[in-house]
Order: sequence, then C-alpha cells, then structure tokens
Amino acid sequence: MRTDFSQPQRQSAVGIWVLFFYTLQQYARAFWPIFLVFFFRLKNFYLGYIFGVIGLFLVLIALISYLKYRNFTFYLDEENQEFIINEGILNKTKTAIQLNKIQQVNINQSFIQKIIGVYELQVDTAGSNKKEGNIKAISQQLALDLKACLLENEGKERILGQNEPGTAAEFESNTTITPFIKISFFSLLKVGITSNYQRTIALLVLFFSTVFESLSKLSDQETGYEQDFGAYFDYSQGLKAIIMGFFMVLVAVLLLNIIRVFVQFFNFNIAKQKGSLLLSYGLLNSKSTIVKPEKVQITTVTQNYFQRKWGILDIRIKQATGGAEEQRKSAIEIPGCDPTERDAIFQLLFSKLPEKGIEFIPNYRKLVFGLFIAVVIPVALFFGLANTFFPEIMEYVGWVPFYVVLMIVLQYFKFKNYRLYIHPEFIIKTSGAWDVSEAIILPQKIQAITTSQLFWHKKADIGSVILHTAGGNISFQLANYTVLKEHINRWLYELETSNSNWM
Amino acid sequence: MELFTNDIIDTQNLPKLESIPFTALNSKYGIVIACNLALIIGVLTGGLFVLAELEPDVFSNRIWFIIGVLTPLSLLLIVCFAIIGFKKKGFAFREHDVVYRSGIIATNTIVIPYNRVQHVALHEGFVSRFLGLAKVQVFTAGGSASDIEIPGIEKEQAENIKQLLMGKIQKQL
Repeated sequence: MRTDFSQPQRQSAVGIWVLFFYTLQQYARAFWPIFLVFFFRLKNFYLGYIFGVIGLFLVLIALISYLKYRNFTFYLDEENQEFIINEGILNKTKTAIQLNKIQQVNINQSFIQKIIGVYELQVDTAGSNKKEGNIKAISQQLALDLKACLLENEGKERILGQNEPGTAAEFESNTTITPFIKISFFSLLKVGITSNYQRTIALLVLFFSTVFESLSKLSDQETGYEQDFGAYFDYSQGLKAIIMGFFMVLVAVLLLNIIRVFVQFFNFNIAKQKGSLLLSYGLLNSKSTIVKPEKVQITTVTQNYFQRKWGILDIRIKQATGGAEEQRKSAIEIPGCDPTERDAIFQLLFSKLPEKGIEFIPNYRKLVFGLFIAVVIPVALFFGLANTFFPEIMEYVGWVPFYVVLMIVLQYFKFKNYRLYIHPEFIIKTSGAWDVSEAIILPQKIQAITTSQLFWHKKADIGSVILHTAGGNISFQLANYTVLKEHINRWLYELETSNSNWM
Repeated sequence: MELFTNDIIDTQNLPKLESIPFTALNSKYGIVIACNLALIIGVLTGGLFVLAELEPDVFSNRIWFIIGVLTPLSLLLIVCFAIIGFKKKGFAFREHDVVYRSGIIATNTIVIPYNRVQHVALHEGFVSRFLGLAKVQVFTAGGSASDIEIPGIEKEQAENIKQLLMGKIQKQL
C-alpha cells in the first residue's frame, strides 16, 4: 500500500535521536571554546556543579531537537505538483520544490542513522551545489515510497536520461567506435613543456632567493684583508652555481610537468557518439567522461605565447551535472589540441564555430586599479615596513625595480587581453596576462544576470555584469554601461520568449 | 502549423531594465532591521562596558579613550549604512522575470527569468513573524550568487509571490 503524502507529516519519532545527535554535534562544535574556558575557571568548584551544567546543556539540546522534530513537516502538494518542506523553531523556512525540477532523490544512511535505524532522504535539483531538500530521519519504507512518489511525476524521458551511459563500464562496451581525435605523444610533450609556468616561476623565485641569501651570508663572513679577493672568488663561483642551479631547476620542473601531463592525459582519445563526445585518457588508471553538448555551460580555450607558436591549446569544458560534488567543481580538460581539432570539437558542441561579435573594451580605470593593487600597494607596504618595523628588508631594495617593471608589463597585458565579445549567438570573454583564455558561453545558458555599478561610476557610464550559468559565472567589469544594458535587455528578451534548453 | 514569423527585433524598444519602477520593501521591515541593529549595538557596547568594569587594565587609558571615540562613530556608520541599504533595496515582478536591486556603495541589480527558477523558499525570522513579514528566496541553477532574497514582504503577499513563481514555472512546461 502506498503512503499518502498529501498530508503534512513529521519524520520518524525515533528520528528525534538522530536530530539530538546532530544538534549536539552542531552546538558542541560552536560552543566548545566557551566550555573549555568555563571548565578551567571552575576547577575548584565541586563536581556536581559541572555535571549540573552538562545535564542542563543536554536537556536544552533535547528540547531543541524535540522542537525541531515538531516543526519539521513535509508533504506533497498534488494540486500544484510541489514538494514542500516546513522547518525551523524560531526562524521558519518553507521550501517548495517543483516535482518536475527534481533531478535526483538520494537515500543515505550515516553511522548514527544506522544505529537508530532510520534513513536520510535528499532531494536534489539541477545546478546548485547543496541539496535542496533534506529529511534527516525517515523509515526505509517511507523513504522508498516518497522517492517513488517524487520521481513518478517526472517525465519518462528524464528518468531515461539519468540512466544514459555515463559510467566507465558502459563506455567500454562502446570502445569499438573509432576516435576522431587522438592527442599525440608529441602534443602532450608540448603541453608538458609549456604549461604551468606560474608554478615553475614560483619555484624558481624560491630557489633564487635561497641562493642569493646564502651567497650574501657567505660574503658577509669574508672580512678584513682578503675581502676583495675572497669576494671575487666567491662571486664567480657563485655565479656558476646560480647558472647551474637555474638550469637544474628548470629541467627538474619541466620533467615534473611532463610526467604529470603524461600520467594524467596519456592516450587521450576523443570519439563521437550520438552527438556526444566520449573522452578517455590516463596512464595508470584510465578515465572516461561523456560530454553532452546540451549540458555544456562554459567552454574555455587557453593558450600562452609558446603554445601559440607551437599551435597547441587547452580546452576546458564545464557541464551542468546532477552527479557527485567533485564532478561539478572540476572542469573537463582536453590538453594539446591543435586549431583544427578545436574547430572539430566546437562544431560538435555548438554546431558552428564561435564568432566574436561586438568588442567591449574595459575603461582605463581597470588598468589603473590593477596597477594600484599590484604595484602601488605592495611597494608602499615594502617601504613602509622597511622604514618602521623591519629595516633589514631594505637589503632587497634592488629587487623593487624588477618587480615594478614585471608587474607593469603583466598588468598591461592583463588589461590588453581583458575583453568581452558579444555576438547574437555567442558571448566570449578573454582574459589573462600570460595564459590567455577565452571563455565561451551561449546566451541561452544564462540563468540569471547581475549588473553592478559603483555610485562614482555613474557619471562615467561604466559598470559591470555577471552572467550566471549552471557551470559558473562570467563577469566583466568596467564596460560601457549603456551599451551593456542594451545587450542585457536583449538577452533577457531572448531567454524569456523562448523555451531554450539549457541542459 | 502556426504562422511563423521572424521579424527583426528592435533592440532599442525592448523593455528596459533601467526604467523599472521598483517596489520598496515594506516599511515594517525597518523595525526588523532596527531590532537587529539594537542587538548588535547592545552586545558590542555591553561587552565593552563589562570589560571596562571588570578588567580596566586590559587597555591603557589612551586606548580606552580611542575606543570610546571610535565605537560610537563606527556604530553611527553601521546605522547609516543600514538605513541607506534599506532605502536602496527594491524589487519588481515583471511579466517574465523577477528583478531585485540592492547595494550601498555599488548598486547591484539581479534579474532571474521565471523560466530559470528552480525552486522557492519562504523564510520567517523570529521578529518578522510578529510583524507578519516573510522573506522570499528564489533559487536558480546558477549557484548561490544568482539567488534572489527579498526580505520584508507581508506574509500573505509572500505566499502569493510564491504561488505566482510556481505558477510561472509550471506554465512554461
């Protein structure tokens, strides 16, 4: 017999215990410092007092969990096709979820729930990271019934959609499909050599600073008569050591990079299947992923100077998934494509090649602000500290001009590459100083739009926009606000007049 | 088959986001904000007074003087910000989307088309419940940054808004 869920009902009565333990955990976590202080202060008091306090605390928690239990109800509104959860003791919340928006219903059991013999039911809709509806204590039968009820209203296709191949096992049965792109050994080698420069540079800086420091210590020790000769001797030797060390570090970092790329992406195959992309890669444990064009939210193409010369680029794809948490966060990466392969992938994802439309150039203030943050503040901080608390850092003053020049160049390129292109069918944002990336989204993937303007930018008519998609946000700052708003109005018009599918 | 048209859209004459008449939050919500502020100010000044009474040697007299000057000033600033923030908040339910405006230094406007709404939640705070107010939260698939929270709406109106949103979600399917 099916349970009737149309009347508001509470969780299992034994579930109060689950709530009790969860609440205890929550409050203990929040208040443990206070307890600690309390007990240290009360060392000399008699034991009964301490037990009294603990007892009072537990009774309070029990009361809270009972009230939580009393105030938590859920029901199915048949008429409006909604699942409704009411909760909260003082602050009340009523969550209403449309049945056809429900993507997944998970039934779990934690350790505490296992002891008490109840289950947890989580209702998940598309996109956002947290679970929208969470019933902490429910009997197994009820959980299964509710799950069936919640999912039965869903279109058949949706249920089928969840069972589409997406697992490695299913994929293996399809390995007969010939890959249409194969990232070659040589391309991966190029990727290994040219990527992850930030990490490389950071390591090099670390190395240099230690060498420099030990050298300066060495020359400090040389005092007296032989100073000149000794300093010269050390210097030439030190220079050799630096150059040797530099190359060794460079080689080591490159080797590490290459190994990392090979382990991660060895034998990277891309195959087409029913309009989806099947990716398989990996040296030690091979992974396979499916990219469905309709689920793709943000596609990013990244290329740096060397990679451009060598004709390779990196594609990252962010999908809207209803799957595991980790899967949502990480983008799918296709390393070492050449431009023709990129075009083939784009053809499949967008059924045409992305075009750059009207160009938006950020206001000069963007550059000024970047320079302020990256140059003015750190330099001011350096001199400020050198003149007050840490006079010894004045030694490194010679590095300041290098830093300033490097930062100015970086900020200039960052500004130069910071662009937004709006085409009727594509929105492309480019950014980055060294690794220049191009993020591509389709206007119909937009979930919401935020516009923002500082009050002192009103006169200059500049403002910012954030386009929210199910795979992350794309933001662009300090653009011409009037023109930007025209496009926002158009996007909204297009979103609202059509029922375009975003996943 | 319906008569298919594909006229050029006059982008100049589309409904403009910037010319929406925003509805201000219910004036009773001011009481909620005042209560929150009173709580913050009470705890802060109370804590300082207790500290000054029990352990006056924690800070030197000079620092106590600075605290004595800065605390009222910063509290005044908090109150000013709260008032400006309250005044600048506004919402609008258009035919096809919901718009919410907020922000003190920057004016942020967020738009969610109804066909992108995932689900809706109603929150009633402790103080709000006495005043018959509720907060409507509209969720999309775009993560927490793209959710709209409209506080200070009368309970009945909030229920209506929820129904409206749910109805709009329903209709598009």
